[in-house]
Amino acid sequence: MTTDSNKTNLPSQGRMTILTFRLMGEIFALAVERVHEIIDPLPVTLVPRTDPFVPGLVNVRGSVVPVADLRQRLEMPPAEATEHSRMVVLDVLIEDTATKVAIVADSVDQVSEVEGSQIEPVPEIGMRFAPRFLAGVAKRDGDLIILLRVETVFEPPQVRNSRAA
Amino acid sequence: MTTPPLPVQTFMQEANEVLESLETRLLELEGDPTNSEIIDAVFRNLHTLKGSGEMFGFTALARFTHSFENAYDAVRSGKAQVSQALIDVSLRSRDHIQRLIDIGTDEAENARLAEAPEGLALLKEIDAILGKASDAPAEASHPVEGEDETEQGPQRFRATFTPDVDSLRTGMRPDLLVEELADLGTATVECFADAVPPLEEIDPAGCYLRWEIAIETDAGRTAIEDIFLFADEDALKLEEAGSALDAVEAPATSIEAKSIGGAASPAPAAPAAAPAQKGNDGGERATAARRSDSVRVQSHRLDALMDQLGELVIAQARLNRIAQELADPNLVGTAEEIERLITGLRDATLSIRMLPIGTVFGKFRRVVRDLSSELGKDVTLVTEGEDTELDKNVIDSLSEPLVHIIRNSVDHGVEPLEARKAAGKPDLATVKMGAFQSGGEVLVTVSDDGGGLKTDRIRARAIERGLIPEDNDLTDKQINQLIFAPGFSTAETLSSVSGRGVGMDAVRTVITDLGGSVEVESTKGVGTDITLRLPLTLAIIEGLLVRVASAPYVLPLASVEECVELTAEQTRRESGRSILTIRDELVPFLDLKMLFGFATDGEATRRIVIVRAEGRRVGLVVDDIIGQHQTVIKSLSPYHRDIDGLAGGTILGDGSVALILDPVALVKSTGTLSAEAA
Repeated sequence: MTTDSNKTNLPSQGRMTILTFRLMGEIFALAVERVHEIIDPLPVTLVPRTDPFVPGLVNVRGSVVPVADLRQRLEMPPAEATEHSRMVVLDVLIEDTATKVAIVADSVDQVSEVEGSQIEPVPEIGMRFAPRFLAGVAKRDGDLIILLRVETVFEPPQVRNSRAA
Repeated sequence: MTTPPLPVQTFMQEANEVLESLETRLLELEGDPTNSEIIDAVFRNLHTLKGSGEMFGFTALARFTHSFENAYDAVRSGKAQVSQALIDVSLRSRDHIQRLIDIGTDEAENARLAEAPEGLALLKEIDAILGKASDAPAEASHPVEGEDETEQGPQRFRATFTPDVDSLRTGMRPDLLVEELADLGTATVECFADAVPPLEEIDPAGCYLRWEIAIETDAGRTAIEDIFLFADEDALKLEEAGSALDAVEAPATSIEAKSIGGAASPAPAAPAAAPAQKGNDGGERATAARRSDSVRVQSHRLDALMDQLGELVIAQARLNRIAQELADPNLVGTAEEIERLITGLRDATLSIRMLPIGTVFGKFRRVVRDLSSELGKDVTLVTEGEDTELDKNVIDSLSEPLVHIIRNSVDHGVEPLEARKAAGKPDLATVKMGAFQSGGEVLVTVSDDGGGLKTDRIRARAIERGLIPEDNDLTDKQINQLIFAPGFSTAETLSSVSGRGVGMDAVRTVITDLGGSVEVESTKGVGTDITLRLPLTLAIIEGLLVRVASAPYVLPLASVEECVELTAEQTRRESGRSILTIRDELVPFLDLKMLFGFATDGEATRRIVIVRAEGRRVGLVVDDIIGQHQTVIKSLSPYHRDIDGLAGGTILGDGSVALILDPVALVKSTGTLSAEAA
């Protein structure tokens, strides 16, 4: 696990394999080791009294998997699913529990490699996303790829709204 | 300490079972001191502990148990009587043995504990109780039943011990066995290495050695065979030697004879011989019986089996659905047959995990006995329904909470003797433990015939602690449940027994984690009943599938009492209120659609599922009742598991996910319900 998170946190050396996907036109990336599978969107069962970050559950091959809304976390407006939408099922650690989480991407680009030297720290100015959710940025063919920091971006919401009624 | 090797773990596990049985037997013996069957059973327990302890390197354990065993040999042979004092010291010795098992096989620790004062003190006590009996040479007056080996004078034997190549892997310690044999008399030990294979064929963990021991002893043949009881039958060849001793050339090692147990042992080694045979036979019989009717399986294998079965139940639900849709009678017939088979398979698999609750009840006899002498109260424990079966995980987690409840019953529930006399109650107080199955639940009850809960003091304390408002109008029954609230304790003095203020709260937490609930019922001056309701199985439940807005939900069928219809007219009439009139009974209700924050679209006819929660009937309004559903519970991720009212998720036949509701938590989460209803 340590080497894994180091890769995501400080991708300064060697090369890493990433999966790139799009949300609102921006290109995001996650280490490919985290990716369990990519599937067509499944029907989501909404969970009452939950935080909007994790609105529902899906059935991934017999497992009940929570759906995390990255748009909500990155403060983007919600969007309708399109024919390009995909669910990416990830293996992450949440509160020390190995958990599968599904996210919805507007589209999935590709699996590719980036050199550690290509990855730069998150610029302090000009980035519209909260820096604590990001691990770094990389430029490729004139595009900016934003690497997500898995440890924070899937953190459970601090205040639970469990007494909505 | 590193984790002991597997055979040692198995021994420790078995030893713990033997100790449990020993405790039960000792307590039985206390009530029936002349029952020779029980005395024999105690003896066999001790003998098994000694034998297998020695074999696995628990030397301190083996020595201590040896002396303890001698005491019961004296009782068996009629040279001593079972007395209260003997039972007392035996129970404490049992606890000492428990400690000896817990320290494991560490040699230095063992040597230290063999000399530890508490052990020696116990042995002295045993000696003192048995008095002269154990000093007299056992053979002289020993009536041996059907045994032909009352040996007089020393005999010579020649023993050849050839352990199996794999015997070291199973935890055998040939060195200890040989040493024990040498302890029986004057011995010459030779070790032969001629069977060691060439280097390329050698198994580094194998045992290729053979020992030949020439021994002159008056302990008799059985005593020798007894030492090798747990080795392979073929491993030992024993012949009476006569002058064979002369044939031994150039002994490799020679070990001087010494008495087992040294100064700590009250009895000479010799008397162990005759009784050893009886114990040996009994022990073998018991082991053989156990082998035939039980199999030891690691619980994770059972868990894996349960998981697979869960998947199978889900797949079967899907099959049923497809069969219904296609309406092919052949397919429907086959699907039904598979359903029947799976139900059988499910029940069989679940029953593997089931244990009779009697296995924990035994422990409480001791708790009650110790407590009643500590507190100077005369209390007896009556148990019923020991055969009621529960999941092993549930049984394991139950024992702590039950100890707590029992302690409270004896400490707080049962009045002091004068108060009992004044109230016209018998001097001997009774604590009753029972277990029985009721629908999908097992009820475990603990009742005492003490003074009952002091509801006034609970009310005052709850107000003082800010648990309830001062102007509350809660009923006595509702007040009594507050003993389970966090941080609540009314004990005026903090005794070692109870009153730490975490007790009943901790009890409730454990029971809730198991998916159960706990209730208290008390009548002043008559007694207190505490009831634990536990789900029969944890992974699969019978559920009632309902619809709220467009989503399916599952309610555990065990908590559902009835379903009634709610007409549009009623809905209008009752609007703005949270109490319904059902057959002249006022029932508070929760509208799940509103509770979950879904838009209310004014559906004409809705339904109410009446559940039992917090000791009362509560209605849950749903949009429709779909039907009964065998539900495999899947736990929720950390994102959702703390949401009040959700017990888990499950997958329906059509592949969609449904949430399982926890009616008790749901009702509790609304908080205001009880006040509104009162």
